[in-house]
Amino acid sequence: MKVLKITPERCTGCLRCEIACSYVQVGAFQPAKSVIRVSPFEGHTSYAPYTCTQCAEGWCMTACPVGAITINAAGAKDVLDDRCVGCKLCTIACPYGTVFYDASTRKAFKCNLCGGDPACVHACPTAAIEYEEVATRDWLHDFAAERASHVLATNGGRR
Amino acid sequence: MPRRHLIIGGGTAGMNAMRTIREEEREPSEITLVSAEKPYSRMVLPYYLDRSIAEQHVFTTSAALLAQWKVKTHVGRRAAALDTKANVCTLDDGSKVEYDDCLIATGSSAVRAPVPGADGANVHSFWTLDECRGVIASVTPGSHVVMIGAGFISFTILNSILALGAKLTIVEVAPRILPRMIDDAGAEVIEEWLRAHGVTIRTNVKVTKIEDARGKKRVKFASGGDLVCDVVIMATGIKTNLEWLKDSGVRMNRGIIVDDHLRSNVPNVYAAGDVAEGRDLVSGQPALHAIEPTAQEHGRVVGANMAGKDIAYKGSLIINIVEVCHLDAASFGAWDDAKADTVVGAKRDRSAYRKYLFTGDRLTGAIIIGRSGDVWTTNDVGMLKGLVQTGVRLGRFKDYLKAHPFDVKTAYIASGTAGTLLPETVLGRPAKAPGETPVAV
Repeated sequence: MKVLKITPERCTGCLRCEIACSYVQVGAFQPAKSVIRVSPFEGHTSYAPYTCTQCAEGWCMTACPVGAITINAAGAKDVLDDRCVGCKLCTIACPYGTVFYDASTRKAFKCNLCGGDPACVHACPTAAIEYEEVATRDWLHDFAAERASHVLATNGGRR
Repeated sequence: MPRRHLIIGGGTAGMNAMRTIREEEREPSEITLVSAEKPYSRMVLPYYLDRSIAEQHVFTTSAALLAQWKVKTHVGRRAAALDTKANVCTLDDGSKVEYDDCLIATGSSAVRAPVPGADGANVHSFWTLDECRGVIASVTPGSHVVMIGAGFISFTILNSILALGAKLTIVEVAPRILPRMIDDAGAEVIEEWLRAHGVTIRTNVKVTKIEDARGKKRVKFASGGDLVCDVVIMATGIKTNLEWLKDSGVRMNRGIIVDDHLRSNVPNVYAAGDVAEGRDLVSGQPALHAIEPTAQEHGRVVGANMAGKDIAYKGSLIINIVEVCHLDAASFGAWDDAKADTVVGAKRDRSAYRKYLFTGDRLTGAIIIGRSGDVWTTNDVGMLKGLVQTGVRLGRFKDYLKAHPFDVKTAYIASGTAGTLLPETVLGRPAKAPGETPVAV
């Protein structure tokens, strides 16, 4: 299965992925409606995008009480809007924090790999997000651990 | 290999078990379902109550799908007795079903406070589809609804009652709302929010009687101050449906005692969902959860084991979320552990509240409250679940989280939580999408 491969060292924090994602997902240029989310590290001097891994368990999918989350042709867990009642169980069942709730539609929403042609990949100017046939993994851990450590070292974790 | 599976109860646990049997089995088997009601999802009844979905939407299967799964059904029947020596279940119409192995997934029922008038006209429970229909028939725009009990069930239908245009008063015998889901300080945030949104809440009041009063209902309290209303909804708790098993030899505590394969003391009798005292993931101890995700996981694990797999269950995590008037409240794991190392964060002006409970450098419980539209709430609920579920060692990020309770993401990502989660599956293989269940022939 092709997955979103993230190389956080290449991310510039430009948020083009969020803009493209929200436009394709909900038709608005609105980072709050994006399902890929760029996080700042080291006091906003480095950044990394974070999104659904399309995990094997599919905690959101197995939790849904009405079978509203399925697997699409790209292999992504996808919310069926006409089945979703907006109960939010998937948002707390997902242990990755990558299923969201849209108060305006009263539905859950999440990354569906744009059905196999992810907009975030096209939008990224530095190839920090690629769509490749590789095993998914925790792309951000080492990057984040190192950078967050810098913060802890300089101010002991206190503001 | 057991050839004849009997599933008693068509709720979440039973449905998941049947689907998983069909997913996992190598040779075709017989499945018989005994279900008092046509299977539906209790979780979505609040959305039917306010008519945001049609009644048809609540059903989790159909006669056609069950036929496709080759399930023999006794819908509308209850199990009345289980003979675990002869492997026979007797139904309430006297008919008998033989089995090689069986799953007890009979769920729970609503309990009403034992006060005079509790069974009177226009006094409802809200648990089953029939009870939901009863409430729908009674509540009209402008009705005054008194809800007795300020627990989780009340809170799941609070939005729906308001959406129907009713005026709502919640009365609770305890000094505070949501006693089994949120701590005192969190409850205060939610109470304040609800009062600001036009909901009347009376805590510390004991109902003594419900009377008819010229076409209306009068709710009387020990402390005085009667309430006159149109409809009473009693959300005063649930109890497990286990009485029918009292002479069966199946060992029970508050629920059925099960091993890590969700087997009872009788090796070919399993239990799942509300009636099973399965392992709690955080404490490692048997616990009666009575929540939807636990029933789903129990059902899948039992289904796999009935199909001949050897699946040990790690345990289930208590997770709850409720939204009231666009305020989200969720809790995870051991959120009320008095021995834990605890940190609290609050932004009172945003009705945002966090409580994290640590055991050593692991997060073992969490509470999060915040406006549904606030990105920092929706971003963090799942990550808190992930931290509690994995029990990942936070190391120095524990202090970071204590110092910055509203920045969960940094600690989550930097402690490698996602990497810990990726290999985890409940059944030792990727989950299948609903609707792609093959039937072995």
